[in-house]
Amino acid sequence: MTRRNIIAVLSLAGVFLATYLSLFKLGIVGSLACGTGQCELVQASKWATFAGAPVALWGVGFYLAMFGASVAGSFGPLMESRAVSIALVVMSGWGVLFSGWLTYIELVKIEAICRWCVASAILVLALFALSVGELRERRRAG
Amino acid sequence: MAKAPVRKQDNRTFVGLLVLVGVIGVAALGYVLTRPGEKPLTVDPSIPAGTAEGYLLGKPDAPVQVMEFGDFECPGCGNFANVTEPDVRARLVNTGIVAFRFFDFPLSVHRNSWTAHIAASCAADQGKFWEMHDRIYAGQNEWGLSGNGEVTTNPIKVFRNYATEIGLDVKKWEDCLAAKPHEARIKANAAEGTRRGITGTPTFIIGNKMLPSDHVIGYDEFKRYVDEALAAAGPDSGKKAAKVAPAQDGGAKKGQ
Repeated sequence: MTRRNIIAVLSLAGVFLATYLSLFKLGIVGSLACGTGQCELVQASKWATFAGAPVALWGVGFYLAMFGASVAGSFGPLMESRAVSIALVVMSGWGVLFSGWLTYIELVKIEAICRWCVASAILVLALFALSVGELRERRRAG
Repeated sequence: MAKAPVRKQDNRTFVGLLVLVGVIGVAALGYVLTRPGEKPLTVDPSIPAGTAEGYLLGKPDAPVQVMEFGDFECPGCGNFANVTEPDVRARLVNTGIVAFRFFDFPLSVHRNSWTAHIAASCAADQGKFWEMHDRIYAGQNEWGLSGNGEVTTNPIKVFRNYATEIGLDVKKWEDCLAAKPHEARIKANAAEGTRRGITGTPTFIIGNKMLPSDHVIGYDEFKRYVDEALAAAGPDSGKKAAKVAPAQDGGAKKGQ
């Protein structure tokens, strides 16, 4: 399995995670399985919406984009494409910044932690690390 | 020469993993979507918000004005109501130091919360808001959240028992539930909270301090804020502060 393959698998998991949070935010599922933490407080806060849409829905878009690019780059003519590697680094880099900002908001402004948001932040960080590693590998290979 | 079979094997593993994650993800989402549905009261979104009116406990012109923005289904609010509030009533409200007002702030994430707020507002029609308030919070585990969702899809059945227990005219109370004449007031109370920047419950405003809703406030902490407000208020501040929220007792009794 290549790093790109792993990125695709993790992105697909991210799609489901963000979809779950979106379904809750849109009122389609009634409560979050949160255990410890204050998922509902975080999701009910004003910061759970960005540019008119739920943050979780932006997450679905992000993970779908990562998934699409990594799957497309795993088969056929795009397999050796450096453009795909760069796109993955740029997208996941943006994701890290956005997740970092959200985590800051949780800790400092809302003063509550949603374990699903933390899981997503870790996932995004892993995607970024894998993307950077993948781009480096491609550069080395010429 | 052996690269092609290795790649084929890799692709199989990759596709297999994608299928596995896909199946698990779809199954998990399917589960959360098909859990038994709930039957909360529906809210008519076309009803405009009225004027914010908290339910008062204590003397309206007490020197320290306290506002609680609470959600009946929120566990933190329940904890406050069951553990801290009895002391607050006995030592601060009954002694005339604090005027305590409860403002409805039902969070949309709680399916049974609106029903609970309407049930309490209908009890207020018979002068028993606080009795219903206390009973609803004491019985959260019978109708509210538990782990993965609400414990009942029919909270009205539970609230009907409470209505009987606290001595309401149940027929009148049920008529009120059906007509929902207090929706506008509940909305207005929630809108007042939103206007004040409140995002979570329970949020307390004690004097000029808004307390964060991130932890369950105990009596000592509550008293500390009351003391600060009392010190800052001056001798005739009670009357001024009372104007912040109109005194609508909603069936208030003077402490318990």
